[in-house]
Amino acid sequence: MSMRGNDDEKLDAVFRAYRYACPDPDASVNFMPALWARIEARQTFLFSFRRMANAFVTAAVALSIALGVYLSIPRSTPGIGSETYIEALADANPLDTPEIVGQVPLDLNGR
Amino acid sequence: MLVDFELIKRAQNRDSAAFNEIVLAYRKRILGTITRLIARSEDVEDVAQEVFLRLYFSLDQLRTPEVFEPWLYRLTVNAAFDYLRKQRRRQEFRMSDLSEQQVLMADAMAGGKVEHEEQLRKKMRESVDSLLGAVSEADRILLLLKEVEGLSLKELEKIYKVNENALKVRLFRARQRVLKAFGAAGKKEGPG
Repeated sequence: MSMRGNDDEKLDAVFRAYRYACPDPDASVNFMPALWARIEARQTFLFSFRRMANAFVTAAVALSIALGVYLSIPRSTPGIGSETYIEALADANPLDTPEIVGQVPLDLNGR
Repeated sequence: MLVDFELIKRAQNRDSAAFNEIVLAYRKRILGTITRLIARSEDVEDVAQEVFLRLYFSLDQLRTPEVFEPWLYRLTVNAAFDYLRKQRRRQEFRMSDLSEQQVLMADAMAGGKVEHEEQLRKKMRESVDSLLGAVSEADRILLLLKEVEGLSLKELEKIYKVNENALKVRLFRARQRVLKAFGAAGKKEGPG
């Protein structure tokens, strides 16, 4: 015995009628030329996008190499490389600098 | 299959003539499916071209020519789905821009231009559309592929890459919802 109700059969009939009401249409004469125009447009876009991406990658690689070379060159300024931190600090603040280690004026009379 | 494997392989190697032959073989069928899926005759060719455009650029990803047809159907379903989503957004915008009277006038003018047969088809499409409004866009397409396009569960399984039982459950639920809407519409119209 079928489990399908009356509405089921009516709905099937509606779907069949819909299929009949919407047959496969014929394509217009412009279908193929328009399709190929779209394909070519997309190809052109992809080609220029790829070219831009390649240029960007090349530029990034060149920049990385240049930066690598720059960082790997040893500094030629004498003293700076061999100096320790303490020595550099001492050079920057010599002991005879008046404002740091100079005599502190003490005026006991002038209140 | 409407084309042989050799032709598909040639098209995969960017043979334009082979690709042309494939399009010519499937064009009518794809146009028909899209007509029934999107129900707007003026945009059918545009969506079909989008399907074949996607086919052209993804053909090299097809590993085995045996699955060509389900694959082409998947492209068709996806293109129709994308179109419907865009269309819904556009329609909301367009309708919000026009006054009610303007919408009625535009409808009347469009109605005056179409022929009687086209009007009947339009009416049929509208009634099926309103019935299928009870389910989601994805379920609507699934139901149309099964009930109107006549695809088998095995074919749908290949298109959706989902197991048959899951498809059965989804189809059953969608059909139940449509049946409910169908019953309600029948009651509204009354016995006469």
